[in-house]
Amino acid sequence: MKRRNRVTRLIGWLSVFAVVTPGFAGQPRVPQASGEDARVFKIFTARVQEYVKLQKNVEASLPALKPTNDAARIAEHEHALARKIVQARSGAGQGDIFTDEVTRQFRRIIRGEFQGPNALQARRTIRPDNPSKAVVRLHVNDVYPENIPLTTTPPTLLSKLPELPKELAYRIVGRDLTLKDTKAGLIVDLIPNAIP
Amino acid sequence: MPAKRRAAFFSLVALAALGLSLYAPELPSPLSALELTLPLKANSVRFAVIGDMGTGEKPQYELAGKMVEYRQKFPFEFVITVGDNIYDGDAPADYESKFERPYKLLLDAGVKFYATLGNHDKPNQRFYKPFNMNGQQYYTHKNGNVRFFALDTNYMNPQQLAWLEKELQNAGSDWAICYFHHALYSSASFHGSATELRGVLEPLFVKYGVQVVFAGHDHVYERVKPQKGIQYFTEGASGSLRAGNLKKSALTAVGYDRDRSFMLVEISGDELYFQTISRTGQTVDSGVIQRVTATSGVSSGPAEQVGPGAGYE
Repeated sequence: MKRRNRVTRLIGWLSVFAVVTPGFAGQPRVPQASGEDARVFKIFTARVQEYVKLQKNVEASLPALKPTNDAARIAEHEHALARKIVQARSGAGQGDIFTDEVTRQFRRIIRGEFQGPNALQARRTIRPDNPSKAVVRLHVNDVYPENIPLTTTPPTLLSKLPELPKELAYRIVGRDLTLKDTKAGLIVDLIPNAIP
Repeated sequence: MPAKRRAAFFSLVALAALGLSLYAPELPSPLSALELTLPLKANSVRFAVIGDMGTGEKPQYELAGKMVEYRQKFPFEFVITVGDNIYDGDAPADYESKFERPYKLLLDAGVKFYATLGNHDKPNQRFYKPFNMNGQQYYTHKNGNVRFFALDTNYMNPQQLAWLEKELQNAGSDWAICYFHHALYSSASFHGSATELRGVLEPLFVKYGVQVVFAGHDHVYERVKPQKGIQYFTEGASGSLRAGNLKKSALTAVGYDRDRSFMLVEISGDELYFQTISRTGQTVDSGVIQRVTATSGVSSGPAEQVGPGAGYE
């Protein structure tokens, strides 16, 4: 009886832990979605997790990057990680993570954001430093364009897309939505002309 | 000497003197010439605020020199940066020419820098030890009775908002000060107010009693009239400058866009004193903000002691 109580208590604590730590162990949290949306988000999330697993495996083969006074060390790590990921994903292409159905759903959400009631604010958020005028043609496995400033990803849009683990970020470049590796600085996948 | 030649000679001398005064390198001001409006109270928390500084150009170095001069009079212990720490590249040479060399004297003196990321910063700056970010895009640090929240407004996702709310809940009775890159209120023409970010951040600031916010992005200095009890500062002119970009609006309490600037801040008990100084050592703004505590109920509007004719109101 005592043992059963202990087990019940343990399960209870684990449930609380799981609830209060979204994103724990690289598990992205999915915004509340139902039916078809939930199914598509699940596909996306599974592919994201696959990528993160690969990234972590690749990074484990490099000397760990810890905070350092040596700026060269930071750049070396980033470049080495990018090189190795590109090697490991040499066959990767557009649509591997943003599959057709994921892309359709993301486009719908983004359209809602940029053509709906929040449109003015969202456009304002991405406008000031958006490099839409720069001729930047992006590809999977490219290094994220280095000489253009970051565009703020609209926070309200972020609240509607599946949350990403910290290894990845949604970044808008021109009208494209990219999935960016935050440590290797690589474009992992993209949806061209996602911003209407 | 005939009168005509004498006049020509004196004209030449006068012109030469004018030329020298315009082009001679500026010598450090004698300590006594530096105007300090901060009270230098015992055991106060003292720091500087800079933003949009990492150009590696002469004005950045000159402003850094002014910070060194002021530190002799106002020994601040650390500097917070509101982003755009290193423009145009992140090669080791960039870190050297845009951060390590301009601030060498401060770094050598043990002054700590706490950085946030701007839209021109590479995210991996978070691993650069002198920025004290400890590998995190957003983080918190406590100095005396002040809890600082360094945010990444390039990417304000739900995780960061949840983290901020949790950390603010735990701030206790400390001053809560947030700093980040994009100004939630700005009268500058180039960027202006980041209204969408304001929509997600300001409710948390109000709910948890954040009273002071520092930002940059627009390359000007501006103190905005208190909004919902919060004092917003923009200090985005510590390296880059958009001269004449500030358009006085109903928001503006004081603005300055004629030259580079940095801020000095002193917090003692429930009072926060600030002084904004230009590259030439002119005080362009100063004042004191009284903290509103649950029991005090004092308004947070700063009692102004604005420098004569420096900025505009």
